Amino acid sequence: MDSLNALLEGFATALQPQYLLYAFFGVFIGTAVGVLPGIGPAMTVALLLPLTYTLDATGALILFAGIYYGAMYGGSTTSILLNTPGESASIVTALEGHKMAKAGRGAAALATAAIGSFVAGTVATVLLTFLAPTLAQLAVQLGPADYFALIVVAFLTVGALLGSSVSRGMTSLGLGLLLGLVGTEVLSGQQRYTFGVPALADGIDVVLIAVGLFAIGESLYVASRMRHGPVQVIPVTRGWRNYLSGKDLRRSWKPWLRGTAIGFPIGTIPAGGADVATFLSYATERRLARGPAKAEFGRGAIEGVAGPESANNAAAAGVLVPLLTLGLPTTATAAIIISAFQSYGIRPGPLLFENQPELVWALIASLYIGNVLLIVLNLPLVGMWAKVLQIPRPYLYAGILAFAGLGAYALRFNIVDILILLVIGVVGFLMRRYGYPVAPMVVGGILGPMAEEQLRKAMAISQGDILYLVHSPFAIFAYSALAVIIATGLWLKRRKAKIEASPKLVPTSAISAIEEPKGRR
Amino acid sequence: MTDHHEALSGAPAPEGASGAPAPLPAAAPNRRGIVGEYVFASVCAALGLYAIIGAGFIRVPPGSASVLGPRFFPYFVGAILLVASVVVIIDIARGHRGQPDEGEDVDVNAKTDWRTVLLLMLCFLSLVVLIELAGWPFAAAVLFGGAAITLGAKRWWVALLIGLGLGLVTQLVFGVWLGLSLPAGPLLNWIPIFNG
Repeated sequence: MDSLNALLEGFATALQPQYLLYAFFGVFIGTAVGVLPGIGPAMTVALLLPLTYTLDATGALILFAGIYYGAMYGGSTTSILLNTPGESASIVTALEGHKMAKAGRGAAALATAAIGSFVAGTVATVLLTFLAPTLAQLAVQLGPADYFALIVVAFLTVGALLGSSVSRGMTSLGLGLLLGLVGTEVLSGQQRYTFGVPALADGIDVVLIAVGLFAIGESLYVASRMRHGPVQVIPVTRGWRNYLSGKDLRRSWKPWLRGTAIGFPIGTIPAGGADVATFLSYATERRLARGPAKAEFGRGAIEGVAGPESANNAAAAGVLVPLLTLGLPTTATAAIIISAFQSYGIRPGPLLFENQPELVWALIASLYIGNVLLIVLNLPLVGMWAKVLQIPRPYLYAGILAFAGLGAYALRFNIVDILILLVIGVVGFLMRRYGYPVAPMVVGGILGPMAEEQLRKAMAISQGDILYLVHSPFAIFAYSALAVIIATGLWLKRRKAKIEASPKLVPTSAISAIEEPKGRR
Repeated sequence: MTDHHEALSGAPAPEGASGAPAPLPAAAPNRRGIVGEYVFASVCAALGLYAIIGAGFIRVPPGSASVLGPRFFPYFVGAILLVASVVVIIDIARGHRGQPDEGEDVDVNAKTDWRTVLLLMLCFLSLVVLIELAGWPFAAAVLFGGAAITLGAKRWWVALLIGLGLGLVTQLVFGVWLGLSLPAGPLLNWIPIFNG
């Protein structure tokens, strides 16, 4: 009941007109930017960060929560309506949603995605409300060795599971860790890898890493092999009757709930984020499909949009659990959110709920509000988002570059930051070109300094006894969980690759044939 | 010779492309870009090595009592980077090539157009000089206009005008309304609203 009271107080804060306006604006601009092709949630959040620089902490976090949820939602519109294969995060939604749109059922696909996101987001936020304070209470008792174990878990799962191969993921992580080392070391005050450049002495801001890798790197990469010719957006038939029919609703509500049940837990553990959750939900829905729905899979089954979209948004809320209670980012987007917290001198972690309850609860309340705003905004505005998709690509990517430059410069009003941004951007371009995942690098950049701090604290307590790192049951548990998570994750990835490799237009009997070998295992 | 290949692949051959024959789009992921892949992985390995060597030169303050000094973690990070990138090099040698990223606006079968990439980098670099010299609105106009034209905007003056509009609007929103100290530049500073 404590958290319920606290939540109500949070609502009292978040419902003030000024904060309500921030939430509204955040959701709107987050969706608008998230809808833009080529811009994923991480890039949206990183690019829009300058908007929050001059707000007070509560306002900034509320605006940010809106942007985060809006960006998560925006991607689905893109993958349903754009006539090209999408990025991997929303590829599952594209599988069925895109087919539905081609068959003239785009409005139904968008509607089931929107309502599914709302249902999943709300249920997951309720779970977050009750789970987070309890977890935070438990987490207060964790020592440096336990934290180090958790960070190692986050490191290795992100490095090993994101991207096409473990070695490339770990290389990306290593680059991020190296960037995290640059600067003045806290305990001894020594400069590391700064080449005597004053601007490097303060370290490289994670925002620079994220904006460089996502905005600059992505723009350069797209420029290097731009798809020419006119942009083809599938038109959406207007009119309310084309949205969800009763039959669609009957077919959608179970996938919504199942997607939530799959997405939230996967979001809370560091297992590759929403990507894995959407895929798992899609595989589940296809296996559970019966009758006419089964025949529709591969040609535009509504279950294949409803499930993964809910899983996506539930995972987005799930990611906030380790973020708020442990201060652990498990996705690139979460890493940027943490750095936004840090710029206000707020340290996410178990003590956050004790030290700044008003702030946390206002944030959680704004998540509920953001969810409602999302659905209110998005059902009527679908036509507008479809127009956004038609932005001529030269202007789109020129705009991304301009905003990236603004964001980098506005960090410290230092020209050197723009140079650093460009260098990181070129690295990001090459990583995309040669098949390295960029997310581990962002996570490494923020987790590296945290890992070092906890490790050195632990070693100071134990006076150099390395066995101290595994002395507590929790640390042992974390390391064994790590092994399990990585093994399962790699297995899931192999299955995912198999399904994605299967030709898209095969009859469903062929797909079920691919499903069969699972029984042999 | 080059003309022949251009006709074959249907894509304009970028300046400075390697002499290797342009493969047909269908046979995209064969040996194309394998040198670059090796080079990138080797640079990562070199960075790892640099981190390890550089760690030895980090000054440890005399008489510091902490068990793990400022050197330990850099050694560790360097080792991760070095080992991982060496494994990548072995992977490439064994035929496990990296898969280029996919995206809505990306044509995976197109050849890498290095010229556009370099021009975009130049446009971005212009910010370094122009922000403080000419002010944000004009720097943004040059960056936006230059990038859009490089990427194939149809009319150059439209691109520049949109860029200038974007620069002025962001200056008003971020510089004036949100209070970030973006330099308006000598050309606009005489206007009271920009001279916050």
